[in-house]
Amino acid sequence: MATGIRDKVVIAGMGCSVFGERWDMSSDMLMVEAFTEALADAGLEKSRIEAAWLGSALDDVNVGNSAIPLATALRLRDIPVTRVENMCATGTEALRGAVYAVAAGAVDVALALGVEKLKDSGFGGLPIRTKGAVNDLWMPYGSAPGTFAQLAGAYAARHGVSMGDLKRGMAHVSWKSHQNGVMNDRAHLRRAVDMDTILNAPMIADPLGLYDCCGVSDGAAAAIVTTPEIARALGKDTLVSVKALQICTSHGWEAQYGAWDGSYVPTTRAAAGRAYAEAGISDPKAEIGLAEVHDCFSITELVTMEDLQLSNDGRAAFDFLDGRYDRDGAVPAQVDGGLKCFGHPVGASGLRMAYEVYTQLMERAGDRQLADLDFGLTHNLGGQPANSVGAVSVFGRL
Amino acid sequence: MHMTEQTILSASGYLPLLRFDRSVARSELRWAGMGGARGHRAVAGWDEDALTLAIEASRLVSPESAGRVTVASTSSPFTDRSMAGLLVDALTLDPALPVTDVGLSRRAATSALIRALASDTPELIAAGERRQAQAGSPQGLAWGDGAGAVLVGPGEGLARCRAAVSRSAQVIDSYTAMSRGLPYGAEDRFVRDTAVDLYQTAVSEALDRAGVAAGDVAIAAMAEPVAGTYIALAKAMKLKAPNLCTEVAGAAGDLGAAMPLFGLALALDRAQPGDLILVAGFGNGCDVLLLEATGTGNGSAEAALSQGSVLSSYTRFLNLTGGIDLDWGPRAEVNQKVSASTLARHSREMTGFVGGRDQGGNVQFPKTPMPVNPAIEGLGAYEDVVLRDVPAKVASITADRLNYTPDPPFHFGLVQFENGARVMMEHCDTDCSAPAVGDPVRMRFRIKAMDRQRAFRTYFWKAAPAERPTLAKEG
Repeated sequence: MATGIRDKVVIAGMGCSVFGERWDMSSDMLMVEAFTEALADAGLEKSRIEAAWLGSALDDVNVGNSAIPLATALRLRDIPVTRVENMCATGTEALRGAVYAVAAGAVDVALALGVEKLKDSGFGGLPIRTKGAVNDLWMPYGSAPGTFAQLAGAYAARHGVSMGDLKRGMAHVSWKSHQNGVMNDRAHLRRAVDMDTILNAPMIADPLGLYDCCGVSDGAAAAIVTTPEIARALGKDTLVSVKALQICTSHGWEAQYGAWDGSYVPTTRAAAGRAYAEAGISDPKAEIGLAEVHDCFSITELVTMEDLQLSNDGRAAFDFLDGRYDRDGAVPAQVDGGLKCFGHPVGASGLRMAYEVYTQLMERAGDRQLADLDFGLTHNLGGQPANSVGAVSVFGRL
Repeated sequence: MHMTEQTILSASGYLPLLRFDRSVARSELRWAGMGGARGHRAVAGWDEDALTLAIEASRLVSPESAGRVTVASTSSPFTDRSMAGLLVDALTLDPALPVTDVGLSRRAATSALIRALASDTPELIAAGERRQAQAGSPQGLAWGDGAGAVLVGPGEGLARCRAAVSRSAQVIDSYTAMSRGLPYGAEDRFVRDTAVDLYQTAVSEALDRAGVAAGDVAIAAMAEPVAGTYIALAKAMKLKAPNLCTEVAGAAGDLGAAMPLFGLALALDRAQPGDLILVAGFGNGCDVLLLEATGTGNGSAEAALSQGSVLSSYTRFLNLTGGIDLDWGPRAEVNQKVSASTLARHSREMTGFVGGRDQGGNVQFPKTPMPVNPAIEGLGAYEDVVLRDVPAKVASITADRLNYTPDPPFHFGLVQFENGARVMMEHCDTDCSAPAVGDPVRMRFRIKAMDRQRAFRTYFWKAAPAERPTLAKEG
């Protein structure tokens, strides 16, 4: 009988590079930047790492195929190194590989590292990619904002929320993240933006304006995971453990079957349900003290809060406007700036979220430190609402 | 001509949504002394070509009974990729049907029609044109994009042929060399006078063969190489009938090889049984058919003329007609190379929009080895379901302004079909109304992707608003 991974694995150390337009850095340098911090934090020798997972989503503009770039950049000698890719959920996928290896008892110490060097692509947003030889014959070449923007109309239609209220709620999502980004010296965007500017920004994909969209960034994040016993042997007093790590992948039901109304993301709901069960969380609204969710677009974060059971269905826009997810709200969200302002180097984002939750649980966040935090959640979403990879993780102290 | 029992069973006209207001060009080009034309010009969307237009016209004549398919155009996107073969796939006709592509003459469709009427094989003849002309040229404004289709077969039909005459003559009113790809026209007065002479000879012969007088003709649908040709011909021959192609040229433009078929469909829309209809195509000679109406048309050409959306941006017009080459930035560099083997494997289901009903009753597109239906475990056993005519609604939608499209914005989203199928689709013809969740849509056959590096294109179906707006009458 499977018992899940709750409390079987702890984070020995984490690192995260500065995110942004790192014109002077290549992906190997970003990997080293994140890894160096993680290794120092873990307080162990590199030679103790027995397996590693590399998360990188866009091989054509990034590090290239295979896991060799990670093994080479860090000179990981004679150990298994695996590259994983699951669109924007890639970072969490890398962490899952490392955590499962330790939980299984296959290795004592494992590394997960996500990296993306998007600013070398020459695009302001994500580059356009093929959807596959067959799919290209019929699937639209929509952009990422185009696919997520469709949540808005469907959500408004389902819940009877006016587009005016929804736009204001979405604007507050971005306003809050910009406020938080100001306080993070590793964030890509560190400027506060007022509501009027957000609401009146140029349209990217109806109804998403410029400030409803996260940008793309260069960056890397890393986690070194191990067993609680080894962590204690390393002299660590405070241990942050993985309470749950669940991923759900679309099987075509949303896009091909008529039952989904397009107003929510089923994979997030499925992953959240399993993650809460694995973590032993029965009342997420009361128990989750920090949410780092996949705010690629404001509407995504808004809908996600309902998918994670942190807002009641149809109420997220009003919860945002009421400040529920502000830094001083009931469930602070994106306190590091999120994808919106910390940045979104795709393969690194899931690990960046975990980095912030870990930092907060270790009470190392300085000015950004939250009080009385027991459980932090990360939500990492790949693909698009109609074809997605939903990843939900819960972290807490052991 | 040997008369047979084959008649015209159905005829249709189709125009793209947009109508460019020629007065805009007159205003924009005044400084250069160009752009004198009046009225509107039908403008194909970026994703329409001679084939897509011909297919839309063909859908309107219910071509299922055709035993042969002919597609006519002087603006075929390929010189060696059969449009008629693609039409067979798009309309899920029998792949064993004989298909013919005819072109290289603006009379291609009328010549095919004359042969079809004299044959004993039911035949679909479809003509589509999207001809390119240089910005500032008379043709750039005078020509329009559009299509017509005729279904010929046995039975009473809508019209029977009383006489048909063809004349060849080296009258170069306009020519388009393949090496140049753009038209060059002769002096208007020469063209008009010579065309009148040619037409007069052919029309007289047709009237004589049918034993009727010029004054007996009720409606004309005669393509004119230049404006004023028919007025001069009518005066010379004492024809009293209005020429509907003159009306079409003013409201939509000269439709090239498709003009006589569109005019014929419009004539049948307006005809009473017993009316004599003079149909003619012009180009290095002429084809003249004298038809007798035995029924009334399906109204498609009349509807095409009366519905549409006015385009009043000259630069957008130029962008759609190849008059300017805008720099769309790096997003336009996307590699859209198509795998020939993938296309061969999936062409019939993609081109024909063929989904499948699984053993549990759910319809899905595309078919997959394992059905999406949660009630079914294991492999699917599908019955083919063609989705192009199934009522559908918008399930989700956006207007994407980030990714490249030749005519932004790029509308796309989930489309929910009444039979349960759900497909992520591009939308088209959204000028008249931005789609919203719940709006009814209808399917249109369009260009899916243009591989600009290799000059290839693929086709698929797109969702268009179910209804088109009515155009205001020109003052």
